[in-house]
Amino acid sequence: MDTAKNRDFDLSANAGASNIQLMTMALDASNSGVIITDHTQPDNPIIYCNKAFENITGYSRKDIIGHNCRFLQAQDRNQKEREILARCIAEGEECRVEIRNYKKNGDLFWNELYMAPVKNEAGEVTHFIGIQNDVTWRKNAEHDLRQQKTVMEKKIRERTMALKDSEAFLSSIIETVREGLLVLDPDFNVLSANYHFLRTFKVSLEETVGRQLYDLGNHQWDIPKLRDLLIKILPTNNPVVDFEVEHDFPHIGRKLMLLNAYRVEFEGQFKDQILLAIEDITERREVENRKDDFLSIASHELRTPLTTIKGYVQLLERAMPENASQKFLSTFGKVSVYVERLNALIGELLDVSRIQSGNMELHVARFDFDAMIAEAVDGMRATVPTHNIMLKGQTGASVIADESHIAQVVTNLLSNAIKYAPDSKQIEVNIANVSEYVKVSVKDFGLGMSQEDRKKVFERFYRGVEIQKKFPGMGIGLYICDQIIKNHNGTLWVESEIGKGSVFSFTLPKAGKEQHG
Amino acid sequence: MDKKKILICDDDEGIIDVLEMIMEEVGHEVMSVNDSLKVQEVIDKVQPDLLILDLWMPRLSGQDVLRYLRSHPQHDKLPVIVISASRDGEQIANAAGADQFIAKPFDLGNIVESVDALLN
Repeated sequence: MDTAKNRDFDLSANAGASNIQLMTMALDASNSGVIITDHTQPDNPIIYCNKAFENITGYSRKDIIGHNCRFLQAQDRNQKEREILARCIAEGEECRVEIRNYKKNGDLFWNELYMAPVKNEAGEVTHFIGIQNDVTWRKNAEHDLRQQKTVMEKKIRERTMALKDSEAFLSSIIETVREGLLVLDPDFNVLSANYHFLRTFKVSLEETVGRQLYDLGNHQWDIPKLRDLLIKILPTNNPVVDFEVEHDFPHIGRKLMLLNAYRVEFEGQFKDQILLAIEDITERREVENRKDDFLSIASHELRTPLTTIKGYVQLLERAMPENASQKFLSTFGKVSVYVERLNALIGELLDVSRIQSGNMELHVARFDFDAMIAEAVDGMRATVPTHNIMLKGQTGASVIADESHIAQVVTNLLSNAIKYAPDSKQIEVNIANVSEYVKVSVKDFGLGMSQEDRKKVFERFYRGVEIQKKFPGMGIGLYICDQIIKNHNGTLWVESEIGKGSVFSFTLPKAGKEQHG
Repeated sequence: MDKKKILICDDDEGIIDVLEMIMEEVGHEVMSVNDSLKVQEVIDKVQPDLLILDLWMPRLSGQDVLRYLRSHPQHDKLPVIVISASRDGEQIANAAGADQFIAKPFDLGNIVESVDALLN
């Protein structure tokens, strides 16, 4: 019934021609493709299409009219939607599908297709009206969205796994660490405790978490000084460092605990929390004390026979016949030198042990600095008359320090100067005031040392490679000197060049004006 | 100088021997005791003019001997030279009331000088 010439067709005998023209114009103005198929003809051919249908499909009207609309599916024949469509048409029902169609140029487009049957008075289907919308962009967007969602979900899964992994990793570290750890909130309530804490104090998680630190056990942590320090952590960010608590703890008895506490440096949910690490150092301290005691006893026991040897040597010297040979005399002199060296070594061993365990006792008193230096220099002059030790300058200052330790440093620097400058007999000692410090320099004109040696010379057991060949030793003398000067808030340093000798200098803070007369 | 009575108290026989030899050499009369628990008895018996005392001895330390002497009027003027190989020996000796401290290993010249100075 296509009247071809003007796209008009007869829908109803009653319809006025102008009405139909108006309807046709309306359909052509639509963005949706509209087709009408004739169900009474074989294969349900398209008998009408509007302008939009041509635009959507790319086909022109002459390619469309008379064809079954399956041409839009091209070779893509196995879609589920096609079966739905075929069944609805066969049964004369309406349906809505989204189906893949192909434009004339072969491009895929997603067609949102609504098919509605038109029935005659007898209820028989005469036509189908098809409304088509190109929803490719929407389908693409939906597809992209789905894909993004999948990607996102995958990422979230991966991140969650990673987080779980790192959480498990961290907690395994925290649980493995051989130090009791507590996390506290700003009111010092325990938020969490690690396994080692529970094991150390033989307590359960239930009697620990949720309680205030100061209420734990038999109030072992309720110490005014510790409270003061902990209160300052959050506002000032000052950590509690190496706070020792010796206490008779429930279940475990008398122990020495070492406490360190820090503010947790996170924002968000971990903000304003305190990490408290508690270490049982009872055994370590006992071992240190035992080692110290052992070395004290050992050095005492070694010195006793040494005293006797020295005594007998001196008695023999006193009984030396006047006509004793020069060789005899000098051999005797050497015995004395080696007795002194052995004595110094014993002393150094004890010093190193005490420095390492932090048990270096200082007997601090005010003394006349210049007199102490003069005495040390005189002592060395008497021992080593072969060298010319010049003492220059004066400070007039007094110093509050352990005089025997400072004298030990001066003596050590002097004996080094003598030892490492065998070909030069000249040694200069300079003392001076430098701001609020006194400064001592011991200058020799001997071997000097390389830059590498200068850097390491104050390290424990360090021996310069060249030095070790010519002058065997333990490498602890300067280490001890450095530690002694550090203990007195001064500094010890060296300036030296190979072949040009060395200058060892140290500074010490001067004492303030004497309080009593 | 007159012959004086010097008492030596040390648990080490070698040190006693050395000190005896030097004190005799410079002309003093020497007695010694190697058990610090007996020192009180010996002092009462021989009435020495000077005591050379070791610090670190078993049973009774030199510090305790010194404290005992300083708390008894009949002995509190007895000159005592403390000899010790302990690093903190000097502090202990001074605190307990020693007249002189000499570190081990000592110089015999120092011992002789100190003895002479305290006996004058």
